[in-house]
Amino acid sequence: MTAPTLIRPDVDAYPIGLRDLEDPPPVWIAGTVPALPAVAVVGTRRCTRYGLDLAEAFGGVIAGAGWTTVSGLARGIDAAAHRGCLRLSGGAVAVLGSGIDVCYPRENQPIYDEILGTGGAILSEYPPGTPPDRWRFPARNRLIAAISQAVVVVEAAATGGALITARLAAEMGRPVFVVPGDVEREMSEGCNRLIRDGAHPVLGSSDLVEELSLVLGPPASLTDTTHGIPAQGVRLSDLPDIWSLTITETLVKLGRLEVEGKVKRLGDYVVPS
Amino acid sequence: MYAATTSVALVGGDVRPVEVQVHVGRQSDQFKLSGLPDAALREAKDRVRAAVMSSGVNFPNRTVTVNLAPAHLPKSGTDFDLPIALGVLAASREIPHPGNAVVVGELALDGSVRSGASTIGAAVLSARSGTPCLVAAGSASDVAAVPGATVHGVSTLAEAVELLRTGLSHHPPATPEPRVEAPPGADLADVRGQPLARRAIEVAAAGDHHLLLHGPPGGGKTMLARRLPGILPILSEEEAVEVALVHAAAGYRRGLSRERPFRAPHHTASRAALVGGGSGVAVPGEVSLAHRGVLFLDEMAEFPRGNLDTLRQPLEDGIVTVARRGITASFPSLFHLVAATNPCPCGYLDDRRRPCVCRPATVSRYRQRVSGPLLDRFDLVVKVDRLEAVAATGPSPEASKAVRSRVTAARQVLAGGPMAVGTAAENLLIGALETALLTARGVDRVRRVAVTIAALESAPGVAEDHVAEALALRADW
Repeated sequence: MTAPTLIRPDVDAYPIGLRDLEDPPPVWIAGTVPALPAVAVVGTRRCTRYGLDLAEAFGGVIAGAGWTTVSGLARGIDAAAHRGCLRLSGGAVAVLGSGIDVCYPRENQPIYDEILGTGGAILSEYPPGTPPDRWRFPARNRLIAAISQAVVVVEAAATGGALITARLAAEMGRPVFVVPGDVEREMSEGCNRLIRDGAHPVLGSSDLVEELSLVLGPPASLTDTTHGIPAQGVRLSDLPDIWSLTITETLVKLGRLEVEGKVKRLGDYVVPS
Repeated sequence: MYAATTSVALVGGDVRPVEVQVHVGRQSDQFKLSGLPDAALREAKDRVRAAVMSSGVNFPNRTVTVNLAPAHLPKSGTDFDLPIALGVLAASREIPHPGNAVVVGELALDGSVRSGASTIGAAVLSARSGTPCLVAAGSASDVAAVPGATVHGVSTLAEAVELLRTGLSHHPPATPEPRVEAPPGADLADVRGQPLARRAIEVAAAGDHHLLLHGPPGGGKTMLARRLPGILPILSEEEAVEVALVHAAAGYRRGLSRERPFRAPHHTASRAALVGGGSGVAVPGEVSLAHRGVLFLDEMAEFPRGNLDTLRQPLEDGIVTVARRGITASFPSLFHLVAATNPCPCGYLDDRRRPCVCRPATVSRYRQRVSGPLLDRFDLVVKVDRLEAVAATGPSPEASKAVRSRVTAARQVLAGGPMAVGTAAENLLIGALETALLTARGVDRVRRVAVTIAALESAPGVAEDHVAEALALRADW
């Protein structure tokens, strides 16, 4: 892992979105911030199983479309969004409310390590060693809002960090997407309020990609392919047709690309790595 | 007055001679049977007496004592009826002594002779000891195909008496039925599409690789597995005898079929049914009934994990030892394992059309039902998708016969000795290890498959392309 470095706003390496803040702070960065459109996926720590599954799916489709996900490495929705992104392509971005070398909560250490191990980045405006004090988290949320070009709120109660992120993002002109929920459910109340206040409701993974592509441009998966394999992957059984090869030739080519690290297998799918 | 005839017992995958000793004493009218007979065999007394009386021969009105030696070997079934009857008649001097002929056959009360499971054993013993054997006419020409056996068929006890009175050597032995090359029951020509799975079973057949097929229901996993025996070379004569003996020990009459066995036990099968069991006698399990053929485990994840793990020892050793009260027997178990499984309990995870209704935790629990060590036995792991309508039409696919000839040729190449692995091929394997694509054990599996692929192409050695294809045929389930 590269040693975390403090990047000042006047340096080229400074994450471009952060310059939209009124007072862009110097930030500590470990790893490399991917030069891709970034989408924040945020939500409550006290989420439901439904919320977890959605967040992980969103993290996956965002990564699959050739964008990257940003979140706060918190328990619940944040962690699920990171996992979804890492499972597909890696290169996620996490913004911490503690020192850059302090993984909080500790249970997310594997995600922390995998983000750095797969070409992603960890950001924090606090010097190494800073403990995770509660009052720092709302401030962290403004960085998440700024560094992303859109924000997706999966589950949020009537008060909480995710709502702060959504409000700050809206103030900076970033579109806010929200998953609607049952009106009587506590963890959907914040989301439903955001929709009433003008946020875009999200109706599912493919709807999200469609809406996001209006903001971020067409997903890379529609334009870029590795050896004819789009970013969201193809089934092995479809490869002979894509490559116009016999099954034996296809297997030979696939085996080579795998060893060269160009593609990898995810269950039945072959995806560019 | 005393006489002894020779019969046969099936023990493990082999035969043992059994001496049927008969003594006819002076006291009146008793019939005793000793030598660890089972219930069916104990009833032989009544069948023999009735059959003899129906055949127009006198049954001695004396004490008849029958002992089956070696006495410690448990004996079962009805095939000792005919040797007991002939022994009684020889001891009471009704007929000349049958000499060292091996005799088996069940008697009906009217004196007719029926064939039982040990008929094949009599032929094998006849071939081994160079003596003739006397069996039921119904299966005489069937077992006469055992190389070296001299088989005489009789359809009634009276016929057997007549045969012995005139002397066996004056009668021509039964001739084997000409072998008809039966077309494989299930043909690959029926399988449309599925090029990946077709390739995988060809490689599996050529290199004796165990194969795991996974995918949603209706993809044709079972259909493909059933076609594996048809693309393997037919059994040799010796192998056919081996297989017939194991099946006979389970009470099946398979004859000397040269087709490879295909066994598909249900997932509720007990451990004894899978690896062997029985009470009093040792009965082979599915692993042995699949000897030299294919053991197909459909819905593998539905088998209790403990039952699956009992397969590991026979898989490893090619032989399984069944210990039962009074007897321990070893049966051969060289089988080709093909397993099929759904990706999740509902079956539709990853399906193109239908949604999966399983929870992630349920799916991972489902997969954990198959232990890692067992999964490691599968050199080839392929997904079988449901057939798309497009693929269901199109040109007729290659038939089993053509695939079988390629497989046979490849197996001859593989039997010819180890194959050199080229430097470039070895480098590709090392590359896969270094990039953590494969574990050390995974490398061994891929290398084995690569050797088979090279043999299928009759290549002089393993080249880079062979390794690349072998790599692609391995995927985590």
